[in-house]
Amino acid sequence: MAEGLFALVPAIVALPFLSFLIALVAGRRLPKGGALVGIAAMTGTLGLSVGALLSVLGVIGTPGISHQILYDWAIGQGTFDLHFGILVDQLSALMLVIVSLISLMVHVFSLGYMNEEGETGLARYYAELGFFSASMLAFVMSDNLLMAFMFFELVGLASYLLIGFWFRRPGPASAAKKAFLVTRFGDYFFLIGVIAVFATFGTAGFVGSEGFPHLAEQALLGEATVQTYFGLDTQAWFSVVGLLVLGGVMGKSAQFPFHTWLPDAMEGPTPVSALIHAATMVAAGVYLVARMYGFYAVSPTALAVIAFVGGFTALFAATMGAVKLEIKQVLAYSTISQYGYIMLALGTGGYIAGVFHLTTHAVFKALLFLGAGAVIIAMHHNEDMWEMGGLKDRMPVTYAAFLAGSLALAGIVPFSGFWSKDEVLYEALIHGLGSPLLLGAWAMGLIAVFFTGFYTFRMVLLTFHGEPRSDDARSPHGVGWTVTGPLAVLGVLAAVGGAINLVPVKKLTGANIDFLHDFLDAESANAAFLGFHHYEELLKSQAGLEPAYIGGETLTLLGSAALSLGLAVGGATLAVVLYRGPSPVRHVERLGRLRDLPFNNYYQDEYQVWLARGLTLGVARAARRFDEGGIDGSVNFVSSISLFSGDRLRRLQSGIVSNYAALVAFGLVVLLVAFGATGGWF
Amino acid sequence: MAVATSYYLVLSAALFCIGLFGILTRRNALFFLMSVELMLNAANINLVAFSYMHGNLTGQVFSLFTMALAAAEVAIGIGIILVLYRNFDDVDVTRATTMRW
Repeated sequence: MAEGLFALVPAIVALPFLSFLIALVAGRRLPKGGALVGIAAMTGTLGLSVGALLSVLGVIGTPGISHQILYDWAIGQGTFDLHFGILVDQLSALMLVIVSLISLMVHVFSLGYMNEEGETGLARYYAELGFFSASMLAFVMSDNLLMAFMFFELVGLASYLLIGFWFRRPGPASAAKKAFLVTRFGDYFFLIGVIAVFATFGTAGFVGSEGFPHLAEQALLGEATVQTYFGLDTQAWFSVVGLLVLGGVMGKSAQFPFHTWLPDAMEGPTPVSALIHAATMVAAGVYLVARMYGFYAVSPTALAVIAFVGGFTALFAATMGAVKLEIKQVLAYSTISQYGYIMLALGTGGYIAGVFHLTTHAVFKALLFLGAGAVIIAMHHNEDMWEMGGLKDRMPVTYAAFLAGSLALAGIVPFSGFWSKDEVLYEALIHGLGSPLLLGAWAMGLIAVFFTGFYTFRMVLLTFHGEPRSDDARSPHGVGWTVTGPLAVLGVLAAVGGAINLVPVKKLTGANIDFLHDFLDAESANAAFLGFHHYEELLKSQAGLEPAYIGGETLTLLGSAALSLGLAVGGATLAVVLYRGPSPVRHVERLGRLRDLPFNNYYQDEYQVWLARGLTLGVARAARRFDEGGIDGSVNFVSSISLFSGDRLRRLQSGIVSNYAALVAFGLVVLLVAFGATGGWF
Repeated sequence: MAVATSYYLVLSAALFCIGLFGILTRRNALFFLMSVELMLNAANINLVAFSYMHGNLTGQVFSLFTMALAAAEVAIGIGIILVLYRNFDDVDVTRATTMRW
């Protein structure tokens, strides 16, 4: 059984769930529409999450991870059981802290964004926020793939509800539907993947020697046997299973080609966008890859797909972000792009780099969205950047925080995003040198750095600098402490957050300051087959990913850092040159048709709508015709026979008693004759 | 001098056929009831005759039950005929055909 603070870990999920119930039942009668309950619950959750992190670290009690099985909900006869369990290891403890921190900030910010703006339906809003947080936290601490899948779906449901919060307007309602359907398409493959994992390994646990990642490793070493299907050998079958689960990951993390739902999801309230993009919905996808990294590490095919999709998405989304008009749209594409980086890192074997970028991105993207929310409040809910301008002097706290987030996003030293993005690209480079595919993914990620710098500073300059370009921007609406407070907290974290993993500094000076590295490589994690060292060995022996360097490790490190920093600064400088001054010119428009392509999202929506309307609808119609004509038809034919014969037979019932009596008498005679004939009376 | 059992059976069969004939041809519900009584009594004769032939009292006791049953049946039958008369202003069984399909 769990010891110390680990025994309280279920409360991390229970508290937000309780706030969901309270806000749902009594939210209308509570002050602030249940916001205070939510804030209290998230504060408790954050405290417990930090406690869990400290317990894993060993600051409280002995260092180590905790794995407890809470409830067996299906006992198999002669086969595996299904259970709910909690796994608190280094990765999940870190993620619990991130999720609860961002969720708390979003709850506080919502006081300013929703309550003070006089929105209706606040009880529903806070109930859904609590439900969202609870589902994500439960997903993070899941100890097996099936439980993870269940909460993965609940996260999807919660985001559907929140994106469609203003469901009376057609835009949010349709965006919510799209988010639900696109992610569900990916989750369909995930579900098959879960079943395949069960069928292959007879377990879906993540942890220890009974976990499926370790069984996969042993099967490849020939020390265990697993069931494979379709005549595939073990390695190929693992790749198939890994890619199936990846379907859910790509849907949730908005990777190409399932990214189309995310920009539309901007229709939801801005604090919700912050939560979706930073900590919950979108993070769930890449977190799942990190969670079962031991399984992906034995499949070079799946890794290559992850890396290539990630690199491509990073570049692809960044180009779209560079031409958008609305501040939240730019941020949405930057989220897709940044999750592309995380996928690139995970796919090229940079497990720590991926988790590091996930962490820093959660902080600075939540910051940027909340900052955008503050700007939107000030602008009386006008989101067009060309209507803004000059907000720098009117909202200094927001500007300072937003700038910190932007520098982190662009990857300018020494803000947190620089360290994590640099490590992502460095890992991609050293692992990719031997493989052209991975090197291509790296190159795309590198080019995306330039675009990232460009769109980030285009956004900052258009929003905050220059002369105000509309009446709203000339007299912005003031924002209170509930808005600036979370911004200040996240702004500081975005500025200094990189300090948790200064790998380049360590490599240059020898100072032991790569804390995240040490944390994820702890002895207890490796013992449970969840540590970095274990993954590193797997990558080397199974996936054949070995680091290679150009002219020595230090030179590669410095070259990679200089390259990414140079590109980021280059992109930022280009934006500054183009958009500085009191009244910037719409330079992007001059690109003409070259601009139309990314501005219209490379016509991704069009072909997906065609897939839905033209193809799926046609197939569905044909299926309906077969169902109604073929299956229902045969059933209806059988029933029509009895209906017809019944209709004829009932004419026998004349209602005249004498007829019935005659029939009875006649029947008796027939019976007697029959008995007589068979009994030999005659 | 005992009468052979077969005579009783012939009598019983004749009585039964008269009852059946009445049921099949008459339209008046009261005649129906009487015909049913005839058929029941035909059965009674059978029971008593076999009882006599076998030399025990089981059949005779059984026929007492049948008489009690017949009395009850007449009470219900008369009741039905009364209702029939109220609803259709007649006791003609061929006119009460509203309960068919």
